[in-house]
Amino acid sequence: MVNWGYTITRVRRVDIDSNDMSYSRKLLAEFPELQSCIACGSCTATCTAGNLTKFNVRKLQTLVRRGEYEGVRKELEKCMLCGKCRLVCPRGINIRGLVQKLKKELPVK
Amino acid sequence: MSKKVIIIGGGVAGMQAAVTLEELGIRSVIIEKEDGLGGKLRRWDRLFPTMTPAEEVLDELKDRVQRSGVEVMTSCEVSEIGCEGRMVTLKDGSSLESDAVVVASGFDLFPAELKEEYGYKIYDNVFTTVDLERMFRNGGVRTVDGRIPKTVAFLHCVGSRDEKVNQRHCSRVCCITGVKQAIEIKQEHPDTEVYSFYMDMRMFGPGYEELYRQAQQEFNIHFVRGRISEASQTIDHRIQIKAEDTLIGLPLKMTVDMLVLIVGMKAGESNLRWSRCQGVDLYPSSFVKPKNLFLGGVESDSKHIFYAGTVTAPKNIGESIDEGIAAAHRVAQRLKEE
Amino acid sequence: MEHFRLFVLPFWLGAIFLLVTLLYKYISWFIGLAPDERRLFFRSLFSRSVFRSVGEVIRESLFHRKIWRTNKLLGYMHTTFALGWFLLIMVGWIETLVYFKGENVPLYVDIFFSYYVHPIFEHNFNFSLIKDALLLLLLIGVCLALFKRIRSRAMGMKRTTKHTWGDRVALSALWLIFPARLLAESMTSAVIWKFGGVVWALGEEHHLILPGIGCGSFLTNTTGEFLARVLPPDILQAGELPAWWFYSITLCAFFVALPFSRYMHIFTEIPLIFLRNAGLKSGEKVSSYDQFQTHACSRCGICIDPCQLQRDAGIVGVQSVYFLRDRRSGKLTDQVADNCLMCGRCEQACPVGIEQNKLRLNSRRERAVPVGENRYGYINGIDRSEGTGKVGYFAGCMTLLTPKILRAMERIFEASGEQVWWADKEGGVCCGRPLKLSGEIDAARRMMEYNTELFRKHGITVLVTSCPICLRVFREDYALEGIEVLHHSEYIQRLIVSGKLSPRFGGENFAYHDPCELGRGCGIYDAPREVIRSIGVLSEAKENREKALCCGASVANIAINDEGQRRIGERVAEEMVATGASAAVTACPLCKKSIARSNLIPVYDLAEVVANALPD
Repeated sequence: MVNWGYTITRVRRVDIDSNDMSYSRKLLAEFPELQSCIACGSCTATCTAGNLTKFNVRKLQTLVRRGEYEGVRKELEKCMLCGKCRLVCPRGINIRGLVQKLKKELPVK
Repeated sequence: MSKKVIIIGGGVAGMQAAVTLEELGIRSVIIEKEDGLGGKLRRWDRLFPTMTPAEEVLDELKDRVQRSGVEVMTSCEVSEIGCEGRMVTLKDGSSLESDAVVVASGFDLFPAELKEEYGYKIYDNVFTTVDLERMFRNGGVRTVDGRIPKTVAFLHCVGSRDEKVNQRHCSRVCCITGVKQAIEIKQEHPDTEVYSFYMDMRMFGPGYEELYRQAQQEFNIHFVRGRISEASQTIDHRIQIKAEDTLIGLPLKMTVDMLVLIVGMKAGESNLRWSRCQGVDLYPSSFVKPKNLFLGGVESDSKHIFYAGTVTAPKNIGESIDEGIAAAHRVAQRLKEE
Repeated sequence: MEHFRLFVLPFWLGAIFLLVTLLYKYISWFIGLAPDERRLFFRSLFSRSVFRSVGEVIRESLFHRKIWRTNKLLGYMHTTFALGWFLLIMVGWIETLVYFKGENVPLYVDIFFSYYVHPIFEHNFNFSLIKDALLLLLLIGVCLALFKRIRSRAMGMKRTTKHTWGDRVALSALWLIFPARLLAESMTSAVIWKFGGVVWALGEEHHLILPGIGCGSFLTNTTGEFLARVLPPDILQAGELPAWWFYSITLCAFFVALPFSRYMHIFTEIPLIFLRNAGLKSGEKVSSYDQFQTHACSRCGICIDPCQLQRDAGIVGVQSVYFLRDRRSGKLTDQVADNCLMCGRCEQACPVGIEQNKLRLNSRRERAVPVGENRYGYINGIDRSEGTGKVGYFAGCMTLLTPKILRAMERIFEASGEQVWWADKEGGVCCGRPLKLSGEIDAARRMMEYNTELFRKHGITVLVTSCPICLRVFREDYALEGIEVLHHSEYIQRLIVSGKLSPRFGGENFAYHDPCELGRGCGIYDAPREVIRSIGVLSEAKENREKALCCGASVANIAINDEGQRRIGERVAEEMVATGASAAVTACPLCKKSIARSNLIPVYDLAEVVANALPD
């Protein structure tokens, strides 16, 4: 099994019915460009941290959009903020800004 | 007095428009900037989804042009459309009078070197779909040093849906072009492994989805969902690519003998010149905006300017030819009214 | 107490309040300084820097020389207010001294002198002539300020609008002070004009004059005569004292509002100049010295015009003036702190010389989230470097996305016969500067330590990088004694000078774009220019060197959106096109990408044009 570097305790199913979508909604209201992600994975492929560890920024932001916050903040600490992801993103998403925002707003848990 | 219509561009749309106009008894002149008719089709080998040789279509169209007696001016470029379509000025300074203009100036190919991270024109074995067509016509797909490639990677959406090169639009036909070329490589070299990096596969035309399925089932082409982020050259002149396999969620690295960039359609550079003429509007993508997307797809806001083909948006060959017919009929109707 | 009148109370209390507040602030800030900073200051008191400071105070606090250089009208206004008012007070003080023959009188007597003594210009030279002239100058200044405010609003110009509460009170009071003074002095002169009275002329002592003469000089005498003719006698008599009350109250309002307003800069610039000349600097952490800097901002708004966020991307309310305002009032938000390219153009323009970037950076550090221990544990032991050599090449993250630069560097190393160790061709660890710029300096240090260790391990003596962002952090934050850190422009220049590299002169016309981190950041302007001159013709953009534009892609801005970046980059490309050059050359992978994005002109890195000019 793939070790994500953070523990996954809950049953592995994204349960939008019971997930707390309030933060996700707030985030998308403040960061609407995030919805334009076409999940091409360029950010993760070029990621400096992602080349040294299993850090996957595309997946993390998708999890947050789906109301899955657990462990995300901890995982985001791996990011070196070098900015390559932003430079390659074909949708012009400010990924660095997003990482900083999530680091400030998500619980440390 | 017989009326005269000027057709800017001698690609498939322009040729068909001219032929149809002649059929309707209206004199037409094709002004083509290259030295022969055919436009981008001249550089193509076979056409999706039927693998019909491009020459078949091209020769037939040229034949029709010749038979109908359309006047053709090649190596001749229009610099301006004047008086809302009643006149055009040529690059050499001369001008021609007309009763209407059909703009069929087509598109430009996206210059792949703008995506520097893919290494086009830096690394030896990075090609575009256009280069590949040339190879198909000239005896087969080979690496720069003449070897049969054992692994080939295709990358979709190069210069499409990409804010970073000001190409927001989807170029539509590249998905199926990539599938077609992947199959052609397999047909030529059955032992070659072909990987295709895609984001979305947009199989919008008849027989396209079937061809895609054929590529998967019959030709064993590997479709990887993810966009290549960068390429580099190894010592033995192979290409190392990095992507994320987004269906697994892990970075992917592989070395291929050949990387093919599936380049998109860029709005024709001449569109900016046309837009100086009253009645011609551009989309933010620089493609020309027709009068009405539903009821006036080949018309402009000016009474004497009409559009056909990819000047307004990315289209395939069939659609472009049909627009040639549609535009010709619209022109004929308009001239009859006057 | 023989001169005490009730109306001096507002002024007197206001002045005392101001004095106490200022002293309290300055002393507590001074105490808040680190011990060695205080030591630096005390030591400077016995050095030549004191003279430099005094000179600078006169030049900047009174004459506002730097503001003159940016904008003549603004300079004139500042000089009239600062120098004019200062001289008015000085002349009043000397006048009082002369009148009372050196006797010690309370300060309010100096200020309200014309109420107590009625100087007359008729018979002999008098101070009132100078005072009237200065007052007139100040009144013109007020008119100009008013006019500018109305006109700029009519023209929709974005200045330092949105004043704080303190600013508004202080501003209104300041504009009222001089008209109020004119009114008060004129009323007194009018009373003398109407009824006659005791007047004083220099060298003639007191004498009595008849009605119809008045006191004061050309300004107050004339207005006095006018008032005396227009107003009925009883109103004249009853109105004199209220006019002085009004003047006193306006002074009081200004003094009380001053510590809470932008006018705090009037006094704060003085200690700032002394401390700065003593060698104090703002640093990574928020410090007491920062207070002197933030309070020395006059909100003149000179920093707004050079800001490309405002100029090209339409982003307002985040410029240095607003950042300092918000930071001072404790209302700083991430939106303001983070939305800055840190290009340094405002710092270059700031007439007070405030270290904008350092202040913004330590604010960001203050606001950064705390992160866990051993955050980058995963980088331990990683080494993906290649090759061996005394020269190390660190491409940097961004250069990995511009393979043309990598290719060109390869060719250059090869042609010059240098043995090179490639630190990060297969991807390495970030230099740490982007993280530092977002305020997470401690976490960035972990990466710095890693890279330093890597450089040491491979025994390099020269470290070359083609990324100015990396260059700056290597020079400013890394401890790389024994390793010379060079930007590739400097390195290439050296190779050419030493004859190891001989690019051909092709004569192509190149416009050079100064990257912020290379130019304003590291002071490297000439090396890339020299290199360009050896292969072609160099064209300069309208704004270049210290005033060069930012490409918009700066990693320092984590708030700007894609469209904003694009527009700023496009503007730079337009400037490059305007030079008439056939191609733009820069020396930073990020600049290259963002200028090239608009597709208006071919853009090359310096290494590329050099590699292209090498003989095959």
